[in-house]
Amino acid sequence: MIIEMVLLSALAGVAVLFALGVLLSKDNFYSSLFMSAALIFVASVYALFDLQPVFVLIVFIFVGAIGIVTVALAATYRSDPERQFSRLWALPVVITAFVIGFSIYSYNLLNPNVPSSVIEFELINFIPITEPITEYLVLILSLMSLVVLLLLSVLKMGVGGTEN
Amino acid sequence: MLAIDIMSASIIYVASFAILLMGYLAAISSKDVIRLLISLELMFGAVFMALIPLFSIALLANTAFGIAIITIFTSSGELLVLIAAIVTLDRQKKDIHTSAITIGGDRV
Repeated sequence: MIIEMVLLSALAGVAVLFALGVLLSKDNFYSSLFMSAALIFVASVYALFDLQPVFVLIVFIFVGAIGIVTVALAATYRSDPERQFSRLWALPVVITAFVIGFSIYSYNLLNPNVPSSVIEFELINFIPITEPITEYLVLILSLMSLVVLLLLSVLKMGVGGTEN
Repeated sequence: MLAIDIMSASIIYVASFAILLMGYLAAISSKDVIRLLISLELMFGAVFMALIPLFSIALLANTAFGIAIITIFTSSGELLVLIAAIVTLDRQKKDIHTSAITIGGDRV
């Protein structure tokens, strides 16, 4: 259990470090590469919990398609970005981080008798074979309608761009 | 198969909050839309990470998988629309800086 906890901390920590690289990098190209790496490590946390379908979806669809298009776009429009970050944002960020950290810390102090809920993951029967597949059909239909709506909006933007 | 406890959930939520914070900071510190796109993708990554503890509840496992699928496909679609908007912005304005966008929002 300790090894898994260390592994989870390492994966989450590396993901946060790559996210920090996105923030600190001045080049959009490297920022997009760091972003893709951070998302792959987020997906690796799913793989650590034996949720391989979500890992595949994130890595192949989100990173493999959208992330690579972003990298290509950043490489095409490669320039040093200008910053407009105000240091005044640091104060609410520090306060929020302190409140969240203290709430997590105080939960264990104030609730010492609460057992750590160890519940095994279950990912079964999402696509039932013998039963009616109504939920699965509803999901597929909603995703198809979403794709049609998105394509219509993209087509409208493309037509507007060529007319002007 | 690794089970989740309060400590694991805390690590996941703290990392998710940190990644979301980086995304917010990158979004508000950027002046071009490419960096905005990158920061949005980072924020969606934080959302994906925050979904993990949902899978630990046995009754919600299938629902959580459905939520994850819908989130992944919806966010991918939104980002594709943003990419198309960036290309259109470049074709119309010959500029990808956010300062080039002068129309939009409510007028008060």
